[in-house]
Amino acid sequence: MKKSFAVFLKRNLAFANLAVVTNLEYRLNYFVDAIVQPILTTGIEILLWVAVFKGAQTETIAGFSRESYLSYALWSAFFARIATSWMYEFRMIEEVSSGTINSLIVRPMSFYEYYLSQLMGYKIVTTMISLIVPVAASYLFDLPAMFTRLPLATLLCFYYLILVHTISFIISSAAFHFTKISSITVAKNLFFWILMGELFPLDLLPEPYKTTIISLPFASGVFIPVGYITGRIGVETVYTGFISVTIGLIVLNILGAYLWKRGLDSYAGTGA
Amino acid sequence: MLHTLKKYLSLYVAMFKASFIADLEYRANFFSRILTDIFWYIAQILTFEVLYQHTDKIGDWDVHQMRVFLGLLFVIDAFYMIIIHENLENISEKVRKGDLDLLLAKPVNSQFMLTLQKANTAIFGNLLIGSAWLFYALSGLPNFNYLKLLWLVILIPCSLVVVYSMRFLFSATAVIFTRSENLQFLWWQVYRLGMRPDSMYNPYIKYVLLTVLPVGVIISIPARALLNPPELNYLLWPLVLVPILIYGTHRFWNFALKFYSSASS
Repeated sequence: MKKSFAVFLKRNLAFANLAVVTNLEYRLNYFVDAIVQPILTTGIEILLWVAVFKGAQTETIAGFSRESYLSYALWSAFFARIATSWMYEFRMIEEVSSGTINSLIVRPMSFYEYYLSQLMGYKIVTTMISLIVPVAASYLFDLPAMFTRLPLATLLCFYYLILVHTISFIISSAAFHFTKISSITVAKNLFFWILMGELFPLDLLPEPYKTTIISLPFASGVFIPVGYITGRIGVETVYTGFISVTIGLIVLNILGAYLWKRGLDSYAGTGA
Repeated sequence: MLHTLKKYLSLYVAMFKASFIADLEYRANFFSRILTDIFWYIAQILTFEVLYQHTDKIGDWDVHQMRVFLGLLFVIDAFYMIIIHENLENISEKVRKGDLDLLLAKPVNSQFMLTLQKANTAIFGNLLIGSAWLFYALSGLPNFNYLKLLWLVILIPCSLVVVYSMRFLFSATAVIFTRSENLQFLWWQVYRLGMRPDSMYNPYIKYVLLTVLPVGVIISIPARALLNPPELNYLLWPLVLVPILIYGTHRFWNFALKFYSSASS
């Protein structure tokens, strides 16, 4: 048992390492992804919030100051980069659609863990590099941010990332049956973009939408971790986030396992 | 000159027809594209509707004017997606797989082929939705003079040239760097600057977005033509900018091709 766990761990560390090495191979590409893009997003959102406060001619909106919103815009852009999976989901779908998955399913590992470890490896490195920017900017511009809350917030975001991967797994399982399924990835990520809270803090929504959307697991990608760091919400909402992600993981993993089995049963080995 | 124009026009009509037939093969794609863009529209509308719950004005405009701005964004974006987007999105792949070799070997302008080879006719549904939203937004404006819509006959093509030129400059870097997917994502961020009204920005940024990095021209100027009293300097600027940008993309493409070393580059 102990030995098999060691093998499992070693194998998954190798997958994670593979993801890091592969992505760092094209450093300009990686730099743009991890640093430049979130900085630009932050800049655009900050400009919006400055204009909103100028138009509103008020010190606070929904009880929070301008600096609080600027801090939210800063952190949300970086957390959103962590909490979204485009590249690996497209690769998973492509593996199924093109038939290159054959070389993976004959190996002593699961398709799910192979890509989960790669996603995690990539995201851990990206987080370590990219979070330097909001930390530095918060210090530099004296924006409200509680750094002691950063570890728990990041942990929730990574826990949510497992849910994101499970959804990617479900969509790639559907690729056994449908062609051009990758357009679903775009629709799905746009849908999550709305629900995660990257566009605006979800507590600005009117009731009952506010309570409902914050209760969904998607809020654990951006709104809850960023709200926790910037002081908009307390630790009890973070725990609620862990619970809703756990429920989501249970439901979606059962669904994913079922769809994967059905997909493999119908798969002829020549691509979908 | 006229003969060349006719040749390219007939070539484009043929490519458009071929694209339409190819798109009909994947009928479900029509619905998935509409669904995808509906989420995008909802995201844009929701952002501003929520913000206007807490303020009366953003930049110069109230919520009704912002809805018109968003309507123009949806319409212009739909035209761009139909005519240009898919072609420029695939440049990087064409470079890596060597498909660019085939285009360069054809007896037509390679930039023309690369830009207009494939039309995405599945987006026509989105154009209808965007237009419907625009007319809904215009109906919310008191005493709107619908003759002002004639400005769009000139300004929408200008906007398309601007968005094309900017996107092309990003896409053509694939020939230089080979793998530049994230530079393409960078384009999206730059484009997002143009998805907000120019009046929202401070004067320096606004100046940059209307001149050096002219994404501010794409939506804000047609929106100003509909929403504000006529400002001649704003309305004429796209007409000056368009030939400069077309010439600029042509020169940049020729420059980028110097780095191209065929299929294995």
